[in-house]
Amino acid sequence: MPNKPTGLANPWLQLGLSVVFVTASELLLKRGANETANLAGSWGWTGLSALASPAVWLAIILVILSFITWLHVLRYLPLSVAFPISQVVHILIPICSWLFLGEVISHLRWGGIALVSLGLAIVAKPVARLEERL
Amino acid sequence: MTPLSFALVFVALFAFVVGQLVLKKAMEASNAVGFGARKFLLPFAAGILFMTVSFFLILGLLQRYDLSYIYPFQGLSVIIISVTAVVVLREKLTPPLIIGAALISAGIALVSIS
Repeated sequence: MPNKPTGLANPWLQLGLSVVFVTASELLLKRGANETANLAGSWGWTGLSALASPAVWLAIILVILSFITWLHVLRYLPLSVAFPISQVVHILIPICSWLFLGEVISHLRWGGIALVSLGLAIVAKPVARLEERL
Repeated sequence: MTPLSFALVFVALFAFVVGQLVLKKAMEASNAVGFGARKFLLPFAAGILFMTVSFFLILGLLQRYDLSYIYPFQGLSVIIISVTAVVVLREKLTPPLIIGAALISAGIALVSIS
């Protein structure tokens, strides 16, 4: 494996960007889907009518960006580390849906979010130690 | 849920995991041989293909079942990817990585069913 690049090409930064892109794209997709829900005709089940919303197009761009940054992450980080960390989206998306979309989060769901957070903290701790040694 | 749909859930999961592994292989190869070589292009194309198959299988399942029923299975992907990364990619799995992956999976399942 080659030396890890620094600055903007740092794989940890790219992993963070990938996660932010995924979260933003999901929120935009939901907004776009809401905006176009009344347009659904006979082809409504395909979701294609959502393409009428600019938010959906922005989301598509973000999905592509998240895929490119993820590929960059795969060049440098082990999958068994990067993939569990990428699951932080399961915390960010519900919290952002609560903050920005006014969705309600049940106690059970908060419990699930807490479990994911705990798992992430356990995964991230040895990684931080590993990075220090490098 | 019919046995066929149940099988499709796992085929979709399998395709997603294989897609991730093959893409990882492709990006590692790109470090050694660049982006023009067959050693990169073949696994890269295969990775995109597997991810696409998984995407449409899940989309098809979502047309027939609730998201909250289909999505908990995605929680399994963390455990399966961690294990296959060790077996196929020869990555090292430490106890914290195993415990962390298990907790993340359980958390995703809980978020999905709630």
